[in-house]
Amino acid sequence: MPPSPCALCSSRALIVRPKNHQKLCKSCFLSIFEEEIHHTITTNALFERGERVAIGASGGKDSTVLASVLKTLNERHNYGVDFVLLSIDEGIKGYRDDSLETVKRNAVQYGMELCIVGYDELYGWTMDQVVEQVGKKGNCTYCGVFRRQALDRGATRLGINHVVTGHNADDIAETVLMNLLRGDLPRLSRTTHIVTSSVSSPIKRSKPLKYAYEKEIVLYAHHKKLDYFSTECIYSPEAFRGSARALIKNLERVRPSAILDVVRSGEDMAKLVPEGVSDVQHCAGRNEATPAGGEEEGSGGCGSGGGRSSGGEMADMEGQLVENESAREREVEITSTITTSNGISAKEKNTTRRHQQQDARKTRKLPRQNMGQCVRCGYLSSQETCKACMLLESLNKSRPKTEIEVGLEDEEEDSSSLRRRMENVVLAGG
Amino acid sequence: MSFGVSSVALLHLLDNQLQGQIDRMNRTGYGLLVVHVNTPSAAPTGMHMEKLEERYPRHTYLSVDLTEVFNCPSRILEGLGEPESISAPSGLGSQDSNQDKLDRLLESLPSATSRMDILNILRTRLLVENAKKRGCEGIIWGDSTTRLAEKILAETAKGRGFSLPWQLSDGISPHGVAFKYPLRDLLKKELVTYASLTTPPLNQFIVSEQAPQAFTSKNTTIDNLVTNYFESVEENFPSIVANVVRTSGKLSARQSFGDGKRCGICEMPIAEGTGGLHGWGGGQEKMDLSSSHLCSDEKLCYGCARSSLRVTTSVRTGP
Repeated sequence: MPPSPCALCSSRALIVRPKNHQKLCKSCFLSIFEEEIHHTITTNALFERGERVAIGASGGKDSTVLASVLKTLNERHNYGVDFVLLSIDEGIKGYRDDSLETVKRNAVQYGMELCIVGYDELYGWTMDQVVEQVGKKGNCTYCGVFRRQALDRGATRLGINHVVTGHNADDIAETVLMNLLRGDLPRLSRTTHIVTSSVSSPIKRSKPLKYAYEKEIVLYAHHKKLDYFSTECIYSPEAFRGSARALIKNLERVRPSAILDVVRSGEDMAKLVPEGVSDVQHCAGRNEATPAGGEEEGSGGCGSGGGRSSGGEMADMEGQLVENESAREREVEITSTITTSNGISAKEKNTTRRHQQQDARKTRKLPRQNMGQCVRCGYLSSQETCKACMLLESLNKSRPKTEIEVGLEDEEEDSSSLRRRMENVVLAGG
Repeated sequence: MSFGVSSVALLHLLDNQLQGQIDRMNRTGYGLLVVHVNTPSAAPTGMHMEKLEERYPRHTYLSVDLTEVFNCPSRILEGLGEPESISAPSGLGSQDSNQDKLDRLLESLPSATSRMDILNILRTRLLVENAKKRGCEGIIWGDSTTRLAEKILAETAKGRGFSLPWQLSDGISPHGVAFKYPLRDLLKKELVTYASLTTPPLNQFIVSEQAPQAFTSKNTTIDNLVTNYFESVEENFPSIVANVVRTSGKLSARQSFGDGKRCGICEMPIAEGTGGLHGWGGGQEKMDLSSSHLCSDEKLCYGCARSSLRVTTSVRTGP
């Protein structure tokens, strides 16, 4: 069998594009991948000339490819944008410390400035300590809330108000399905927007890789011989995401365009979410969407554990739904006893009551968020204290109040084991 | 009537209700026309239809072939557009039987998913056409919660997310007839139980659906895949299935379908400027698919354009 020629030039095809099974040679693949991202950037007018933009860099394939492509395109098409790398150090040994080394190398390779913001310096807790405290289940909430704020704070420190993240088409499609499964309409309306800026954050986020397939990102990184870090986060992924991810992968196998199609559906469905539920201004179109508690923004690095679902989260949700339902049934029982005791006129009462209930249900839409400042840290928040501070408070409550510990913090290596030893000493003494 | 557990249970329930009305008032509030559409893939069902007719003699029964979609008034044909372009090369266009036309239409589609997708749309349109022809006020569908949840995810995966409000809600549909889903709050396994508890059990009327093919098969479709997925979810998390349906029910159609553009295949309204594969920011194929047949692209909605897209790229790689 003769080798297949490239569909665009006549040299030998080496790559079958995951997106549409087109056969391409290496250089055509690289250039078409770059041009598609250029297309995304220009049609959505993502950047302004002279802007300083931070690339949320984890050292993983997505953000490394993002940084590489943006550098290439910035030079080729003369965007006139100054790119800076911004990394978050969650403090996860054996994962983040290694990937940060990659980011440091990337900064040198691409000639970009690098800023690293650590959870420990911002919050006084590393993720390793949080996990030690709350266990492996549910720690992703902390990580997500913390990361979102940390990115904003890092950007502010750099004097930047635009962060680009490496979310790819697979991530978006996954989130669309996930939000359908857990019935989260407000988030459904937010996730698909390519640019998100919001009242709850002064920093604008955008996702230039929104239409890029994960597999193509891997191929690009491979053929460009990019230096990236490929270990997944060591803590467990969310069950819903795992379930949705497995489904997406299967859909892609059946019909490669499915990922893009889900993204498209998600965009269309975002327009169908009723006004009261979403806080998106529809007239403003896709360029001025507003995420509020956008946890999905921060989940870039985690949750990609390939269908390893524990199921615990889904079971929790199932339990809650069942509870809601039985509560609703109890409510109906009460109204019906009233009707029987009051005779015929009560029938009318009953119907008006129903209407009232329905009205109440209708008007019980999410209240518009009024943004203020967190009384503790001054971060923008819809509540008196921001979510991060509330999580911190619960963490700090259970932290032993020994003064000694602060002194030990410097020697991070042994701090936890030392602390435990100290506790033992106290116990023995008492 | 598909002879699945849901539609048989639905017929049984409605028949009971009508019986109740006759017992009380000696007249009925409505009449039923039971329609089955024969598709090429399914086994012939004439015998099952007779059995049903014997058991529930009150109603009118009608069995139509999917190929009759080509005999319907011009609107469907015009919308399809496809068979014409397909029959053109053979030069015998006018001589072709409907069966040939259907076969060729299906052959021209790129994948099993597309075939199933288009078949479902054709069936819906044929049902609508028959309902209209016979002056029916609406179509009552037997979709269970499980089936609706499957539909939601499958349509989403096929890029038809925009059409969900019209496909899920009770009331007038874009096709001009009312659609009703009275079984929307029942899970499939509840219906299965119900069917075995009636006297006599309904099981004898139910033609069990084909066992979904193995995952490795090239013929797996997105619909199969999602069906399998929800089978496992319903097993352990039934409320999540119901939640998907309830959530999607909250999506509201922002745009009325009075006028404006309609998709030529599925008849769903298309918002201005979003038709076809390229009417959005993610349509990046523009650059590598400059070729001809996509001119008619914007007459179709995204989902139909996707399904009817022929695999131009792999054809081009020949020697």
